[in-house]
Amino acid sequence: MLRILLINDTPKKVGRLKAALIEAGFEVIDESGLIIDLPERVQAVRPDVILIDTESPGRDVMEQVVLVTRDLPRPIVMFTDEHDPGVMRQAIKSGVSAYIVEGIHAQRLQPILDVAMARFESDQDLRAQLHARDQQLAERKRIETAKGLLMKMKNCNEEEAYTLMRRQAMSRQQKLIQVAEQIIAMSELLG
Amino acid sequence: MNDTLNTPLAWVNGSDAPELNSIDVGFMALTDSASLIVAATQGFAQPYGLNINLQRQPSWAGLRDKLVSGELHAAHSLYGLVYAAQLGIGGPAKDMAVLMGLNQNGQSINLSSTLQNQGVITPEALDRRTHQSGTKLTFAQTLPTGNHAMWLYYWLASQGVHPLEDVDSVVVPPPQMVEHLKAQRIDGFCVGEPWGASAVNQHLGFTLATSQTIWPDHPEKVLGCTLEFVQQYPNTARVLIMAVLEASRFIEESLDNRRSTAQMLSGCEYVNAPVEDIEARLLGEYSDGLGNHWQDHHAVSFHRKGEVNMPWLSDGMWFMTQFRRWGLLREDPDYLGVASQVQQLALYRRAAEALDIKVPATALRSSQLIDGKVWDGSDPVGYARSFKLHALADAEPVVADPVADE
Repeated sequence: MLRILLINDTPKKVGRLKAALIEAGFEVIDESGLIIDLPERVQAVRPDVILIDTESPGRDVMEQVVLVTRDLPRPIVMFTDEHDPGVMRQAIKSGVSAYIVEGIHAQRLQPILDVAMARFESDQDLRAQLHARDQQLAERKRIETAKGLLMKMKNCNEEEAYTLMRRQAMSRQQKLIQVAEQIIAMSELLG
Repeated sequence: MNDTLNTPLAWVNGSDAPELNSIDVGFMALTDSASLIVAATQGFAQPYGLNINLQRQPSWAGLRDKLVSGELHAAHSLYGLVYAAQLGIGGPAKDMAVLMGLNQNGQSINLSSTLQNQGVITPEALDRRTHQSGTKLTFAQTLPTGNHAMWLYYWLASQGVHPLEDVDSVVVPPPQMVEHLKAQRIDGFCVGEPWGASAVNQHLGFTLATSQTIWPDHPEKVLGCTLEFVQQYPNTARVLIMAVLEASRFIEESLDNRRSTAQMLSGCEYVNAPVEDIEARLLGEYSDGLGNHWQDHHAVSFHRKGEVNMPWLSDGMWFMTQFRRWGLLREDPDYLGVASQVQQLALYRRAAEALDIKVPATALRSSQLIDGKVWDGSDPVGYARSFKLHALADAEPVVADPVADE
């Protein structure tokens, strides 16, 4: 039976995943300690499979584990496309990354990833697109309009108007379009 | 500078229009992501018909996986990350591309206030501490193949300290460095700003060396993507370079622009750090936490008339020589061949020339590093073998290994 190290360092709930994996008959060790100690923990626990949130900052520490073990008898490698393209893509979608001891067959990992994909709470909000694509042209026109208004108001040239708008936006941690909208609104008010 | 804004439709209607109208671009919470953030939020790509969706990433490894799998089209990347992926170090090999340089300088090596109190405040004192005392010091960097590992190793070695034998090396994600220093889990770290300034401002540590003292105007972050992306979407890639070039130029146009850039970066969606920690070093105003203050002439730079943005072949090759030096590569790659494939010189040239930004005639540059050695890209094989301290792995590979010490 494969021994699984489950790394628990993000706000996502892995509790249910752990229970589900145990129910499916796997030996699961839940690691919720400091991510910086991970190389030592991996050495002590000697897992066959390591599961970690794709969005975890600890992914970089796993890179160190991979390099440190590459000349040991049981090197740990990232589970990748080369092992099984289908499973890999599913795993990325579900938000969980898997590292395995080299030599373990991809098929043996399938039931683990099936459970992980069903149980892991993937935070779709993180992946939400920041902009709608069709807004783009409309935004560009609004920015042009605001620039024109500002050039008139400040009696400045185009480049100066853009610089003023951008500086204003950046010092308020806003996007250019937000400042453009404010200029247009103010102009309508004073109109 | 905004000629292109006057005639946006020329680009949209012409054959040069980007193939994609919206792309996902990753970044890490660091001051040197500035030009990407400014390009994306301040309307620099829109005139070309491109929308840049910023996606902050929690780890370099995650950023790399998303680049390789196509979930991100391009990203603020470490030179070392791009070349490790190209060469298949620590993971499967994938053909990668460097579209342009994003910045030079602006990283630092910082030690804990505990070491400061013990008088370990000079390279000489650190050298003594590492060679005389029983317990090894622990230094953090950001990725085993990353720039910060290379800067830390290079600097330590230049002071006579073997980075893989005399000290322990661990990986910590950049925004967590200060917290680990505070908890005394690490004795020092090498990272990009603002995290060095943050340690100094909180009186948790001091800056022992800036990365620009290791190599004045060293290459740092790049705009990275897969070669596949460049081949599939060449116009999108070129337009992305143009937008980021214009944003880089804008940041350096005036002091006011730099200041508002710092304010923008401090936002919680971006670097999420106090503006005081970001602004001073972005303006070149350094305080090391030991009472020294100076105006740094090689502080972080984003453009310098294109000097910073040129994808120099010698810059890409340098990282491969250091991989070789420290045993991450077991044999010499075709340094010039690999760099020529990765660095997108032709594409960069077209983008820069369209904006009247000068492109140097040669893609090799010459620099003198802290140990007195000159790197000009002419003899990478010899350069990689020329160091007194190394872990050349012709026979037995050696990698920083905190586990093996137990």
